[in-house]
This record gives sequence, structure tokens and C-alpha cells, in this order.
Amino acid sequence: MGAYTLRSLRQQPQRLVASFVSLFLGATMVMAFASMFDTLVGNDGLSSTDTEALVTLGAVVGGWGLIIVVFAVASTLTLSVRQRSREMALLKSVGATPAQVGRMIVGEAAVVAVVAALAAVAPAALVGRLVFDLVRDSGQVSAAVEHRFGAVALAVGFGVTFLGATVAALVTARRTARLRARDALADAELDDGGSRLSRKRTVAAVVFLALGAQTGTLTATLMKDKGSDAMQTGGQASIWAGIGLALLAPALVRGGARLFGGLLERVGGASGYLAAHNLRRRAPQMARAVMPVIVFTAIATGAIVMQAIENQATEAAGLAETASEKTIETLNFVVVGMIAVFAAIMVINTLVTATTGRRRELAQQRLAGATPAGALATVGLESVVVLVVGVAAGSLASLATIVPYSIARTDSPVPDTGLGIWLVVVGTAVALTLGSTLGAARRALRTPAVEAAGATAA
Amino acid sequence: MSTDATHAPWMGGEALRMESVRKVYGPAGNQVVALDDVSVRIPSGTFTAVMGPSGSGKSTFLQCAAGLDRPTSGRVYIDGTELTGESEAELTRFRRQRVGFVFQQFNLLPTLTVRQNVTFPLRLARRKVEKGLAERVLERVGLGDRLDHRPAELSGGQQQRVAIARALVAAPSVLFADEPTGALDSKSARQVLGLLVEAVRDFGQTVVMVTHDPVAAAHAHAVLFLADGRIVGHLDRPTPEAVAERMTHLGAEPTGPGVPAPAAARRAAPGTREVVA
Repeated sequence: MGAYTLRSLRQQPQRLVASFVSLFLGATMVMAFASMFDTLVGNDGLSSTDTEALVTLGAVVGGWGLIIVVFAVASTLTLSVRQRSREMALLKSVGATPAQVGRMIVGEAAVVAVVAALAAVAPAALVGRLVFDLVRDSGQVSAAVEHRFGAVALAVGFGVTFLGATVAALVTARRTARLRARDALADAELDDGGSRLSRKRTVAAVVFLALGAQTGTLTATLMKDKGSDAMQTGGQASIWAGIGLALLAPALVRGGARLFGGLLERVGGASGYLAAHNLRRRAPQMARAVMPVIVFTAIATGAIVMQAIENQATEAAGLAETASEKTIETLNFVVVGMIAVFAAIMVINTLVTATTGRRRELAQQRLAGATPAGALATVGLESVVVLVVGVAAGSLASLATIVPYSIARTDSPVPDTGLGIWLVVVGTAVALTLGSTLGAARRALRTPAVEAAGATAA
Repeated sequence: MSTDATHAPWMGGEALRMESVRKVYGPAGNQVVALDDVSVRIPSGTFTAVMGPSGSGKSTFLQCAAGLDRPTSGRVYIDGTELTGESEAELTRFRRQRVGFVFQQFNLLPTLTVRQNVTFPLRLARRKVEKGLAERVLERVGLGDRLDHRPAELSGGQQQRVAIARALVAAPSVLFADEPTGALDSKSARQVLGLLVEAVRDFGQTVVMVTHDPVAAAHAHAVLFLADGRIVGHLDRPTPEAVAERMTHLGAEPTGPGVPAPAAARRAAPGTREVVA
């Protein structure tokens, strides 16, 4: 089985590109921020301010990244394994035991994780240095401190990447093992409509939403008079709330299907009719596309609006922005930018993988008489609902940061920042979602329908 | 079934005509001739089986005849109308009007119910879905009690019967079937073949079926034999034994598929064999 794993990796490396990209980016972020601890260890005579700044940067900022990384990697890996359920079933049909298939999935993930972590070392050292320089230039760390990149960064980076990947793979493998070979070979994974969220998922969602509520409340109360320090709790709130809502995505999609299904059927012609049915019956798959949209919208809107509130508050106080404040702002944008880019790549990864995996279904649609444009319209209409649901939930989650932070800094729950930032974030989400989905669908439609459906016996 | 006069089969008419159809795959220099100057006429209201060894061009024949693929050269007429159009969209619109298709792997849409699958082609063609039509057709294929099931909840044989209902509901000029019993047990296969025979006998439907099973082929009025991309024989009122016999000889002929001639040699000697089934 080990030999098969390596051979299949060597022969079809493109299959795992999505997993590799998320693992690589994740490893880069985690290592870059973990290098602050190397810096802590590697410099003598640090002041308590230095120590605090480095710990904050490494633990708090790195911690956010970590959550996002694990989340992203898990969802990408799950998706890529599911796309290959036929291959898994084939392996079982030639005599592989579920345990062997499981070992293969985990083995693959582990190999990809190690390769991704190795590739991430150099970029992580660079990013770590850049972030550190920003912090030092802002005076938060004394000028004498030198950036170090070493054992801690490597250990944390490799450890987190490897563990994250293998744990995600184990969960996926367990789920795959439960599918019987026959079921997996058939077109499985339909929602029976009445299926609820699993208990574990609901509990996790509640925990994350509670965290979001708690950090939000803290921001509006305890951190109220602490100035820009409120960012430490305020920024997290939308991340937790976003993840919490993302976990509820299957239920949200079902709600979206109920809300928009009828409309799609009425105005969307045959394409809309099919899109409505796909949304109703495929809530779990659609949810996987909605999740990164929620996380992206929540984090990007929350963090950028928070910074805008902060800028206005500083201005309103009649204070000119000090150099240090400017650097904090820059740093904030660097971190938010990284997380947003990460979430954006997740959006692309997820949607491209999901859409490519629908090649057969799209072909069946064409064989039933849909033109390529009609098939594309179905995918497009589904994406619009995915977007509406994702953007709505993500915007709601972003309020967990915006409202408390606005209270903390301006005493008003409604910030005076306008809708410009939100519109840019939503525009980006729309471009990312439609671009990656329709691009992948267009590519999938290039294969002749008969071939893609595997319809002929010849 | 057919309310549209232009789609009604007329006695003695031609449901399908192929004139010197040639299909070449692959890049220049490494080309494979899948269909080599095939000419065929199939009268309306008949059931024709197309047989041949693996790689004989059966599926290419069906795809070119049904407008799923474009021939490299030659003409295809369905119900007297030439299959034209370059783009997939144009071919699709042509198929919607005149062609029904049944595949080995059923190809039902997994998210739609049985009833929704059957009416979906009508929706695509923006034709009015007549009330009770799907139910009647599904009743005919013995699935009147499975209207709201999903394909995944049905056996292979039942799924294929849904696919046949879906193909019949648009009242096509020709129903093409590509190994429709290839994935079925023998009992389900008999039911499916029985439905095709019934459609021809009771409703004047024209059926063209590709198969490699002599028993399946024996349900047809006539069998065309393909080898190396050419029509090499024709058998009326087939019996399984006669079909099997012919297939065996097909494989044994020196110029037959048993000794596949190199593509270059085949290209050099295009022979015209017109078969009137």
C-alpha cells in the first residue's frame, strides 16, 4: 500500500495541488510567526516590553493563523479525498481493506505535508524577518534585537503542518472507510434533505460562536478604555464567529435553497430548475463552497473596518498618527492581508476542486440535452446562491468585530466608516467565487460529454 | 404519443440516413480511422442492432448518427433533416428535437427524482410539460409507483427504464441505445429489451441499438455488422445463434477485425458499402 501511495503521488501530482498549496501557505504563516519565539530565545538581555511584544506577535497573531490553517487544510484534504471516492472504491474492489485505504490517505497527506513544510522554510524566514522588521521599526522591540529563525519555527511549522494534515486525513479516512465499495462506486453523497448537522459539528459551531461572542463582549466592556489594545480581542471575534457560522454552512445552504429555490425555478429556465434541485439535494457539497466565502468575508471585513474605526478614532481625538501607530496599522494590514489571501486561496482551492469533481454530472446534464452554456448557467446560478449565503453569513460574523470595537472606540455601535470597505470585500468574494467556479466549469465542459460521462462501452 | 406532426414517423420514410460518413481521430501522422465511408439507411419504425467486435467503431457510429459527435466527412440525416451545425450548442438543439439516447451507464441526473428526470429534456427544449405525460410514460415502463424516488434509490434495471422513459417522452425521430443492457443482469436486460421492442411495435418508434450481445441483437428486426470502421454485413430477422455465428466469422475473416489492418492500409482503400436495412 505504501508503494501504491508513492506511485500514485508521483503519477498524479496535480491531484494534490490544492492540498499542497494550503499546507504550504499554512506552514509559511505558522513558521514565520513562530520565529518570534526563536528571536526571543536567541537574543540576550531582552526587556519585558520586548518579550511581551514578541510573545504577542508569535502567540496571538500566529494563533489566529494556526486556526485558519488547520481549518483550511482539513477542508481541502477532505474535499480532495472525496473527489477520489471512485479510486478508493476501486482499490477496495481489488481487495484493499478499509484500513489499508485509510493508511493510504493518511500516508499521502503526510508526504504532502512534509514536502509543503520543506518548501515553506525559505519563504517563512523571509516573511518572519519582514514582520519582525516592521515591529522593530515601530519601536515595539528595541533596536538591538536581531531576528532569528531556527529550531522553534521549524519544530512548530513542521509539527503543526504534519499533525494538521494527518489528523484531517484520519478523520476523512474514517469517513471513507464507512462507505461500502458498491456505494462509493455509485454516485453517492446525496443529501436526504432531512439530514441534520452532526452533533459534533453543532457543538463545535456553538463553541466558536460563543468564543466570538465572548471576545466581542470583552472588547466592548473590559477593553473599552484601552485604546487600540482593544484590537487584540476585537480582531479575533469575527474570526471565531466566522468559523462558527462556517461550521453551520450545510444548514445555511438549506435555508438559502428554501429562500431562493423557487425563484431560481421560476426565472432560471431549465438551468435554474436544475440549480435549485442541486442546492436542495447537495447541501453538504455546496456548504463546502460556502465555508471559505464566509471565513473570507468575515475576516477581511472585520479586520479592515476595525482598522478604519481605529484611524477615525485617532483622528477624532485630534491626535496625529505617530510613527508607531502607522506601523501598527501596516502590521495589522500585513496580518489581515495574509489571512485574507489565505482565505481567498481557500475559496479558489475549494471551488475549483469541487467544480472539477462535477465533470461527470455536467456531462450527464449535456447528454440529457443541455447546451454547454446551459450547464454553465446551472453552475453559475448555484454559485450566486453560494455567494449570497456566504456573504450574508460572513458579513454577520464581521459584526462581531465591528460593533464591539466601534463601541470601545467611539461609544456608538454603528461605525462611521461607510460601506466602501464592505463593498470591496464583497466584490472580491464575488470575483473569486465566480471566477474559480466558472473557470473550472468551463474547463470541465471542454471534454466531450460522452467521454466525460464515461457513457460509452467502446 | 407524438402530437407534433413534423415528428410523426411516416410509413416507408427514412428515420436515419448516413452518407459516406468518415470519422478520423487523433493528430495528423497518428490518425485512427474509426468510421470508414459508412453509408446506411434505416427506415422509420424499425429496430436495428449494430454489432461488431471491440474497436470496430460501434460507439463512434452511434455518436455520429445521433449528433453527439461530428463526422470528419459525410452527411447524416435524421428524419430527412440534415444534421448540421458546428458547435456543441447547435448539435444539442438538433438532438433535443429529434434524438433520444439511452446509455449503458443510464446517466440520470442524481439530484432529480424519477419524474423530474423524465421531464427535464422537455424543460431544456422549453417545451410545455403536458400534465400526466411523465406519469403515463413511466407507467408504460413499469415505474408508475417510483415517481418520486431518486435514481440512487433504484436498481440498475429500474434506472435504465427511467432512462428509456426520458428518451421516449420527447417523441424522438430515432431512439439510440448504446449497450443499454451492458450493465444489467439478464432479467433486467430482458425487461429493457422488451420495452424497446414494445416502443417499436406499439408506437412506431425507430430504435438503433449498439450491442455486443447476440441475444440482445436478436430482439431487433435487422442487425448491421461493423468491423474496422466499415459495415461488413447485414442480417434480417436475426436469431441469437445466427448473430453469434456471424460474429465468429467476422472475427475469423482475414480482412476482419481478428487481424486488424494498420490504419494506413485502411485509409488507402476506402470501400463504399451501402447497406439498406
